[in-house]
Amino acid sequence: MTEQTIDKATLSETPAPVIHVSPSPHLADQSLTTQRIMLDVVIGLIPVVAMALFVFRLYAVKQLAISIVSCLVAEALFAKMRGRELPLKDCSALVTGIILALSLPGPAPWYVGVIASFVAIGIGKAIFGGIGMNIFNPAMVGRAFVMIAFASALAASGYQDVNSSVDAVTQATPLDTFKQTGAVAPLSALFLGLTNGSLGETSALACLIGGIYLCIRRSASWEIPAGVISAALVLGGIANLADMDSGWTVLHHLFGGSLLFGAFFIATDPCSSPLTPRGKFIFGLGVGGFVMLLRLFSGYPAGVMFAVLLMNSLTPLINRWTIPRPLGAQ
Amino acid sequence: MTAQGKANFFSQAWLVLVLAICFGGLLAGMQILLGPIIETNKINETLERVPVLVFGAAHATELSQSGMEINPLSVGVEKAGKSVRYNVYETKSDGKLAGWVTKSAGQGYADKIEVLIGFDPRMEKITGLFVLDQKETPGLGNKILEDGWRGQFLDKSTAKPLMPVKGKATASNEIDAITGATISSKAVTDIINTAVADLREPLADKAKGK
Amino acid sequence: MADQPTASERFIQGILPENPVFRQLLGLCPALAVTANMKSAVTMTGAVLFVLFCANVITSLIRDLLKPHLRIVVFTLTIATFVTIADRFLAAYLYQMSKTLGPYIPLIIVNCIIICRCEVCASKQSVFVAGADAIGQSIGFGLAVSAIAAVREILGTGNFFDIPVLPAAWPDWVVMILPPGAFLTFGLLIGLVNWFETVKASSQASEVLTPAESEGS
Repeated sequence: MTEQTIDKATLSETPAPVIHVSPSPHLADQSLTTQRIMLDVVIGLIPVVAMALFVFRLYAVKQLAISIVSCLVAEALFAKMRGRELPLKDCSALVTGIILALSLPGPAPWYVGVIASFVAIGIGKAIFGGIGMNIFNPAMVGRAFVMIAFASALAASGYQDVNSSVDAVTQATPLDTFKQTGAVAPLSALFLGLTNGSLGETSALACLIGGIYLCIRRSASWEIPAGVISAALVLGGIANLADMDSGWTVLHHLFGGSLLFGAFFIATDPCSSPLTPRGKFIFGLGVGGFVMLLRLFSGYPAGVMFAVLLMNSLTPLINRWTIPRPLGAQ
Repeated sequence: MTAQGKANFFSQAWLVLVLAICFGGLLAGMQILLGPIIETNKINETLERVPVLVFGAAHATELSQSGMEINPLSVGVEKAGKSVRYNVYETKSDGKLAGWVTKSAGQGYADKIEVLIGFDPRMEKITGLFVLDQKETPGLGNKILEDGWRGQFLDKSTAKPLMPVKGKATASNEIDAITGATISSKAVTDIINTAVADLREPLADKAKGK
Repeated sequence: MADQPTASERFIQGILPENPVFRQLLGLCPALAVTANMKSAVTMTGAVLFVLFCANVITSLIRDLLKPHLRIVVFTLTIATFVTIADRFLAAYLYQMSKTLGPYIPLIIVNCIIICRCEVCASKQSVFVAGADAIGQSIGFGLAVSAIAAVREILGTGNFFDIPVLPAAWPDWVVMILPPGAFLTFGLLIGLVNWFETVKASSQASEVLTPAESEGS
C-alpha cells in the first residue's frame, strides 16, 4: 500500500530530480512558524476572552491589561538583558500574558498579575534560554508562584468580592461550594460560564469553541486534550459511581473548574509537552489523572496548574519512552 | 604474628582512641554544665504560658508576683481500651485552685499541632488557648496563631462540642473557620474537643475533692 | 609545601574568590534550609564559625600524627564533638533559636565546608594558617547565607532582623520564606555572582592584551 503510493508520488514528480540537503529541523510544512501558532492561539482564545469580558466586565479588563502589559515589558527587559533582539513579534509573550490573566481570579490585586508575569517570563522562560527551551509552561510557573506567595488572594475567598456589582464575583466558585457545602451548580451555568472562577475557566462552551479551532488548525495537538478529557471521564465516572447521591456528575467534573481551559490552552504548549502523538496522549492522560486526583483528594479544589507543571517535568521521560520505532527495526 | 598484628592495630588507631576519650570527656563535662539549663528551658517554655491561659494576659503579670503555684500533674484517661496520658498543670492562687492548663496535640493540615488549653477549676469553660507548635501553610493555616482567631475560644462553654463554621459563627458553640484553612481550623477545634471529652470528668472530680 | 597559600591568602580567598557557597557550592543544606530570616542565618554562621575554627585548629595540631587512611574518621570525630557542643550551647542559652534551627545544627556534622577545609588546608598547614582559613571561610559562608536570608526575609515578610523595613502595605511574598523561595533566591544569586565574574573577566581581558591569569579554580 505505502510502497505503491510512494511509487506514484515519485513517478509524478520525475521531472525535477532535485535533492535538497539542509541541516535539521526538516520541517514538512514551512508555514507552521512560531508566530503562526501563537497567532492561532490568540484567535482561539477570543471566545474565552469574550466570555470573560461578558461575565466579569471590568475585572477581566483589568487583569488582562495588567498581565499582557507586564508580560510584554518583562519579555523586552529580559531580552535586552540577554543581549538579544526584541522577540515580541513572535507573540509568545502576548499568549503567556493572556493565559496568565485568564487563569487569575478577577478580584486579585494588581501586583499579583505583575509579579506573576515577571516570574512567568523571567523564571519560567528567560532563565532556561528563551522560547522553546523552557521545560515548564511559563504562565503556570507564574501562577504557581503567586498562588503560593499570595495564598489568601488566590484561595477560595480570593475569587469573591462582596462589594462588586457584577453578580458572578459575589458567589463562591462552583468547585469550592461543592467541596464545602455539597451544593451542586446547575450544569447549564457551568457549560455557559455564568459562574465564578478564574476569568477564563468558567465557560466550557467558549473553551470548546476555541480549543476545537486550535485542533483543526493543528496549532494544538488534539491528542493532549483528548487524553485529558478521557482521563477525566474515566476517573470522574468512577467517582460518580462511588458516590451517586452527591449529584456532581461526570459532566460537572468535565465542565467545572479549569479542566477544559487547561486541556486546550495550557497543556498544549508545544515547548513543554512531548513530541510524538503517543507521548502527547500519555501526557494528556497524566494531566487529566492528576487534575482528578487533586480535585477529589486534596485541599486545592482546582488542580490544573499543578497537574500541568507535574506532567511538564515528566515530558523528557515520556519523550524517551515513546521514541518512534523506524519501520523494520527490532 | 598475632602479637605483631595487635601492635599494628594499636599503632594505627591510638590517635582515634585518644581523641575519642578526650572528646567524650569534653562532651560529658558540657552535659553536666548545660544539661540542667536546657531542662529548665524546656519546662519554662510551657510554664510561662500557664498564668496567661488561666487568668488572661491582663492579670497574669500582676498575679505572677503574688502567691501563685503551678503543679505539673500527669492525668491518665482510659479511652476505648487504651490509656492516654495528659500533662496537666494545676494552677493555684493564694492556695485556692484557680484553673487547669493541659497540653494536647493532634494532626493538622501539614503536621502535628501542639496546643496548651486553659480551663476554669470546674472544667466548665475555656479560659485560654495557646499554639505551642505548628507547621501549617504560611498565610493560610498559620493564622491559627493569631490572637484574633484564638480569642474566639475564650469563655466558650465545655458543655457542647465546638464546631468550626464557614462565614459567621452564630451559636454559642460555633467558631469562625479561617477562610481557606478549614482543615487547620477543624484540627484545632478537634484537639480541644478531644481534650475536653477526656479530661472534664477527672479534673472536675479532682477540683471537688479538694 | 612551598607552594601552599599563606595565612592572609587563605583568609582573603575564603571570603569572595573561593566563597564556599557561591563558588564552591558547599554547605548548601544550611544555605537553603535556615535562610528564611536573618536571625537564624546569623546564628547558623556563628555555629559554623565555631565548629570550623575548632575543627581546623585541632586537625592542624595533630596533622603530623594522622594516618592517611584514618584521617576522615578523625575529622568526623572532631567535627561531631564541636557540633554537639554548639548544639547544647544553643539549647541552653538561645532556646527558641535552637528550636527554630531544629535538626540543622546537628547536620553541620555532614556540612562539606568543614570536612573540605580540614582536608584541603588544616591537615597540611600550620595552626595559624588553619585558623585564618577557618575565619575567612566562615565569613564567606556568613556573607552568602546573609545575602540569601536578606532577600528572602525582606520579600517574604517585609522585615529585616524582624524589624519592619518595607511599608505595611507590602504584600508578603509567602513563597519566599518557603522552600521554593530558597531555591529560587539561591539560583538567582549564583547567576548574579557568575554574571559579575564574567563582566570582571571580560573587562580585565580588554584592559590587558594578554589573557588574564585565572584566579583560584
